[in-house]
Amino acid sequence: MNFWFAVLRQMGRNLRQTWASQCMTLLTVSLSVLIFAFFYLIYTNMLNAGDKLGDDLRLIVYLQDEPGPEMQEQLRRKITDFDQVQEIKFISRAQAYERFAKQLGQNKDVLEDMPTDFLPPSIEVTPLKTLRSLNRVKLFSEYLSKLPVTLKVQYGQDWVERFFYFIRLLSIVVILSGSLLILTTVFMVAYTIRLTIMGRQAELELLRLVGATNDYIRTPFMLEGLMQGFFGSTFGLVSLYSLYQWIKIRFSGPGILYLFNFTFFTPDTIVLIIIASILLCTVGSYMSMQKFLRI
Amino acid sequence: MTEMNAPPQPTIVELIKVSKNYPPDVIALADVSLTVETGEMFFLIGKSGAGKTTLLKLICNMETPSNGLIEVAGQNIHRLKGKKLARLRQKIGVAYQDFKLLTDRTVAENIAISMEVSYKKPPVISKRVKDLLAQLELSDKHDAITGELSRGEQQRVTLARAVANSPTLILVDEPTGNLDAATTEKVMNLLNKCKSSGATIIIATHDDSLYRHTDHRIMELCRGKIRRVNGGLQA
Ligand SMILES: Nc1ncnc2c1ncn2[C@@H]1O[C@H](COP(=O)(O)OP(=O)(O)OP(=O)(O)O)[C@@H](O)[C@H]1O
Ligand SMILES: [Mg+2]
Repeated sequence: MNFWFAVLRQMGRNLRQTWASQCMTLLTVSLSVLIFAFFYLIYTNMLNAGDKLGDDLRLIVYLQDEPGPEMQEQLRRKITDFDQVQEIKFISRAQAYERFAKQLGQNKDVLEDMPTDFLPPSIEVTPLKTLRSLNRVKLFSEYLSKLPVTLKVQYGQDWVERFFYFIRLLSIVVILSGSLLILTTVFMVAYTIRLTIMGRQAELELLRLVGATNDYIRTPFMLEGLMQGFFGSTFGLVSLYSLYQWIKIRFSGPGILYLFNFTFFTPDTIVLIIIASILLCTVGSYMSMQKFLRI
Repeated sequence: MTEMNAPPQPTIVELIKVSKNYPPDVIALADVSLTVETGEMFFLIGKSGAGKTTLLKLICNMETPSNGLIEVAGQNIHRLKGKKLARLRQKIGVAYQDFKLLTDRTVAENIAISMEVSYKKPPVISKRVKDLLAQLELSDKHDAITGELSRGEQQRVTLARAVANSPTLILVDEPTGNLDAATTEKVMNLLNKCKSSGATIIIATHDDSLYRHTDHRIMELCRGKIRRVNGGLQA
């Protein structure tokens, strides 16, 4: 009780003396949280979109001949040799014809003169919906096309590749801005607190001489770091949310956001980002303090 | 708090063959052995550079001895760490020769520091501060910025800070160097008051008026060695 009173009083003095550099740090922390959260938000949304697109993603392997049951078994084995898949479905000539007829609907009379086996049989392979297997879709299709019975392999080649390149690029950006976040928060906070410590060296020395415990000296600074982390990240996230709202209102209606069904972070993620920032900042101030207390 | 109050030990400071060298070749103290009893007022005299300040710094653990053993309240103060050291230091009040005041703070804040670290309540602190300032004739300086005071005033603020937390051991380094006779008497009155409430006091001084007519023990240092120890009147 008295301890916390003393800590708060000390913290008040610190803030009064160094509010300018405190503000700078706060700004830096919120800016780096904002940058990181911005890219991370795009990334998570792209992942969601990728999931949705992945739902429709399937490889269609056209075959030269209708496979017998034995052959089907062999092919099944060959396919799962490469990778686990979600589903393998064999489509016979007849099934293909029926499907096609259904698609034509009212126009299906154009088929009247055609033989029912003019469409090739095929296998529909649905890959697992993990990013890893989606990333390997190209390799997979190459593998499938080398099977001896394959006529041709089809999937949305172009956009799938481009999309996943984009996601990979984005993940690099997220990692980079994440590292930037860690560096700036830890070092900026450590630096401001070093500044405070140096500005008050005489007082801190004296505190030790008159018998202040390490906790008495350290806790105000740790608390300061904690506040930097909390307010910095909250501020950054609030700015991002405002930006998000603004974009949403500005570009509402059918557009790219509509297509991707753009959403903000879940509360869990928000709490996680805030907690991580608090931890980072506290670690920063702890580092500075330890350096001082060891002297 | 507990270690020093109960049970009261007969000796509070014990030095056995203590030496202190400063690199490269300054011998500030050589083989000093000394026992100070609880409740005693003990004078440390000697020419400038004799090692008085060094001895006090060793007792309050500002410096570590190069050799020898120092015990304060039965504990080897240079082995203590963390909380235990802090708690012992709260019970040692030191008036430094170079004051170590926070010059950008008010007088009241400077005196309060030693009580704040042992979590005294704010009303208790402010009452004690006013009381001490009155005894040292500094009442009008309560809210003055410490750096703007005269040296004699700063000296008294330092003393007030040293005794504020009612420590059981008070180390005073040259308490009256800048003071006139009347103010010196006020300072000694305050120290005597501390002594009668049970504190042990070690005073390093050049001013022989402080001990001339008393029977307190006096130790004279000369170039880091003990020259003589005796009862006051024979000095
Ligand atoms: N930090 C230090 N580094 C090197 N030498 C030091 C240091 N502190 C003290 N000394 C030396 O140790 C010797 C004793 O110094 P000390 O300050 O103890 O003297 P003193 O008796 O207090 O003198 P005064 O009466 O002038 O205050 C001196 O020769 C001084 O130069
Ligand atoms: Mg001295």
